[in-house]
Amino acid sequence: MNPHDEPVLGSDFEFGLEEAARDLTLPERIRNLVQGERFAVLCTQGQRQPYGSVVAFALSRDLRAAAFATPMTTRKYRLLSECARVALVIDNRGKHPNDMMKVEAITATGRAGQLQPGPEFDHWAGLLMARHPYLKSFVRAPSTALFRIDIVRYLYVTRFQEVRQWVPESGG
Amino acid sequence: MGSGIGWVIPLENGADCDERYIGGKAAKLAQLAHAGYRVPNGFCVTTLAYERFLEVGNLANTIRIELGRKPLESMRWEEIWDAALRIRLAFLAVPIPLDVSQTIEAALEKLSRVRAWAVRSSAPGEDSANRSFAGLHESRVGVVGNEAVLDAIRVVWASLWSDAALLYRRELSLDPTRSRMAVVIQEMIDEQPSGVAFGRDPRGTQRNQVIVEAVPGLCGDLVDGMVDPDRWILERSSGEILEWRAGDRPNDQTRDPILEIDDLNTLLQTLRNVETLLGWPPDVEWTGRAERFTLLQARPITTVDQESGDTRSWYLSLRPGERRLSSLAEQVAQELIPQLEGEGERFAAEALDSYDDKGLAAAIEERYTAVQKWRQIYLDEFIPFAHGVRHLGIYYNDAVRPEDPYEFVGLLKGQRMVASQRNQALVTLAHQLREDDALKDTVRQAVHIGNSDPAKGWQEVRAKIRALPRGEEFLREFEDLLRGHMDVAYGSDRLADRPESILKTVLEMAQAANRARQRPLDGVPADTDAKALEQRLFDAVGEDRREEATDALTIGRLSWRLRDDDNVLIGRLESQVLRALDLGANRLRAAGRLHAGAKVGIAAGPAVAEALKDVRGGPVILPAELETKHPSLTITAGETPRQLIGQPAAPGLATGRVRSVRSTEDLGHFHAGEVLVCDAIQPTMTHLVPLASAIVERRGGMLIHGAIIARELGIPCVNGVPNAVDLLHDGELVTVDGHLGIVTVGPPEFDLEGVT
Repeated sequence: MNPHDEPVLGSDFEFGLEEAARDLTLPERIRNLVQGERFAVLCTQGQRQPYGSVVAFALSRDLRAAAFATPMTTRKYRLLSECARVALVIDNRGKHPNDMMKVEAITATGRAGQLQPGPEFDHWAGLLMARHPYLKSFVRAPSTALFRIDIVRYLYVTRFQEVRQWVPESGG
Repeated sequence: MGSGIGWVIPLENGADCDERYIGGKAAKLAQLAHAGYRVPNGFCVTTLAYERFLEVGNLANTIRIELGRKPLESMRWEEIWDAALRIRLAFLAVPIPLDVSQTIEAALEKLSRVRAWAVRSSAPGEDSANRSFAGLHESRVGVVGNEAVLDAIRVVWASLWSDAALLYRRELSLDPTRSRMAVVIQEMIDEQPSGVAFGRDPRGTQRNQVIVEAVPGLCGDLVDGMVDPDRWILERSSGEILEWRAGDRPNDQTRDPILEIDDLNTLLQTLRNVETLLGWPPDVEWTGRAERFTLLQARPITTVDQESGDTRSWYLSLRPGERRLSSLAEQVAQELIPQLEGEGERFAAEALDSYDDKGLAAAIEERYTAVQKWRQIYLDEFIPFAHGVRHLGIYYNDAVRPEDPYEFVGLLKGQRMVASQRNQALVTLAHQLREDDALKDTVRQAVHIGNSDPAKGWQEVRAKIRALPRGEEFLREFEDLLRGHMDVAYGSDRLADRPESILKTVLEMAQAANRARQRPLDGVPADTDAKALEQRLFDAVGEDRREEATDALTIGRLSWRLRDDDNVLIGRLESQVLRALDLGANRLRAAGRLHAGAKVGIAAGPAVAEALKDVRGGPVILPAELETKHPSLTITAGETPRQLIGQPAAPGLATGRVRSVRSTEDLGHFHAGEVLVCDAIQPTMTHLVPLASAIVERRGGMLIHGAIIARELGIPCVNGVPNAVDLLHDGELVTVDGHLGIVTVGPPEFDLEGVT
């Protein structure tokens, strides 16, 4: 070590802004972000064309899976039947309209599969409706499909360009 | 402007104005003027003007980006200085909105007989009864002409975000969304004498004492510490002079007190009245004599409070003014560096083997004391002198207004440093290897054999090289290099003790030479060589200020060169402590008093010396070596970095495999084309830089060694990456973007779902 190198200024010099998140682990940061945001952009693909749609979502406590619902008549439903590989983009830019350095965003990638009626369906429908009570009739409609995304990887972005990855499978 | 407040307010109308609009300094001056004191004519540019400037120039985002790059508490002072420099240049690049500038110019015209202006900061909340933050923001004096006043206003506005202010951001509640700055513009008063006066002893010990300081010239000379003042201590209640001390001013022949009794009495009365008016014992700046005292400023007294562990005042001392820099330059270049060099040479020449234990103990103590002394000189003189480079940067940016705030670094190119002599010697040796295949092959085989006993192994390598036709010559030059340049400490090791490691580097350099390392500077326009930049600076300042610019250049270049040299030379001195310590430790080991594997670093000096003196002593316990503490790292299972953010320290883009250098051992393992990842590039290891495809450092700063050398060689460098050495692993592919300060981890293409 260089004995002449002065140290960093240390925690006594904190900026005094919203920095409560500083000591959180990456999964905790991700959890905080998704808990504060109720909508996500679902990214699908098909015929060599990416496609994006805003969806209401719910996430499991362990962050390994998410659910959303879509009418079966939609383009995204058709694309999902072609290709299960999807991404969900969730961000809090609405909270920090004037400060992009504070915006957090995640891209969760994974595979989406439609749930058929049964206990699994009920569990996820319950989670989604608990988060979005006004969507009760929509979720239960016979022409609505409920999807579960098994999340493979999270890419968490903050401070404009700092990117960290987390793969839930390999961690707690 | 719903408040009814305009862009400017004449000082005489400011007495009832909310401090939020005119700031602390202006508010106090307005109150003083209103109460009948003489204050220089002038007006205040309100915080609303600052707000408008910020809005039109979209500068709030610039501030947020600079301050949001990484948590401020994990920044070093140099990085904070860098952020402040970028903010300052951004402020200077944006013109003041026309409606504001026209209003200011109209206010200047109203006082048309004024020849020169003082343009001072007046931040709301800067001074209150409880606290005062003198010197965190900039002020400009002797400003002539409207254009120059408008320029100075932007400089003062930018200083709301100066490195000094950022250090005290918590106390100042600095916040990009809320903080504002007003500016006081006043006529320059060139009366004499001038001084400061404290309504109470600022040391806080003697409540019934008043302190007065006076200099023959301008008050600024006193405040900047350029002129030693006469100093009086008066009894507050009676006015009796308790003490007078003449200032130490070599060119001042008269030794009579600068102030007379009348002056002192008037000052004392003024202090009492101002205290009644403002409600707290003031610290005032004044100029003139008894019958015509002018008050330049009044603020609450800052009590000297040396909080334990608060190093900020030291950081603030690292920004000496021009004159202090000049005197430091003389002292460092002509006195200290030659002394340091001489001391290292003297120690290196001493034959320690012949000393008995007591003699060796004395030699260790002498070397240890010398290193401690020079480390202190390093803090007190060398680091402040290093500010010469920063001073040049600000000077250049103010004059040229370049797009790149670090364009001035090009002016530092081509300085002949101690380290560059070493690097040249390495290049010459590499050249010999390249010219002689037999020699190269022998060296390659020899250095890779390895031996459990390094000293014995090296003797074998020597013998093999010597046996070759041009081996003798090569070996002689290599050993000259070891003695002349590699007798330096790297951590607790001496590089000279690792000849194979250095030989490996020479070999790598020989192999890499084919890849044409001296590529053109990537991202830096071709015309920005030192001469062209110099001309640019001279053109910008004009003939009148050419001498001043030459001085800034000379000091900047000298400061940069010596900043490198002093590190290498202290490394040499440390190496001499280690040499003596090694010898002492071996004797203690032989006597069974020291564990065979005990690591003996410089901190062990006193313990080893004591043990050598104490012939009958028992086992020796060594103190732990001090480690630099870095923030701890929390990584969850399954988490990996993808993009790390740091400072864009040298432009360019390169992909390569990570090689971390943490120890002397690692220096020899570094291969050409790898990405050099380390805690900090020290002058003792800059010879690796030309081999690297890119550099990533934990230590941040645009003006640190690694950054400037990388920039000179056109190698991309990102520094200030917290925990870089822990987060990046050897062999991992990374892409270093020196334009943006981003290190991308992993191959550019990857299968997002490949992990399932």
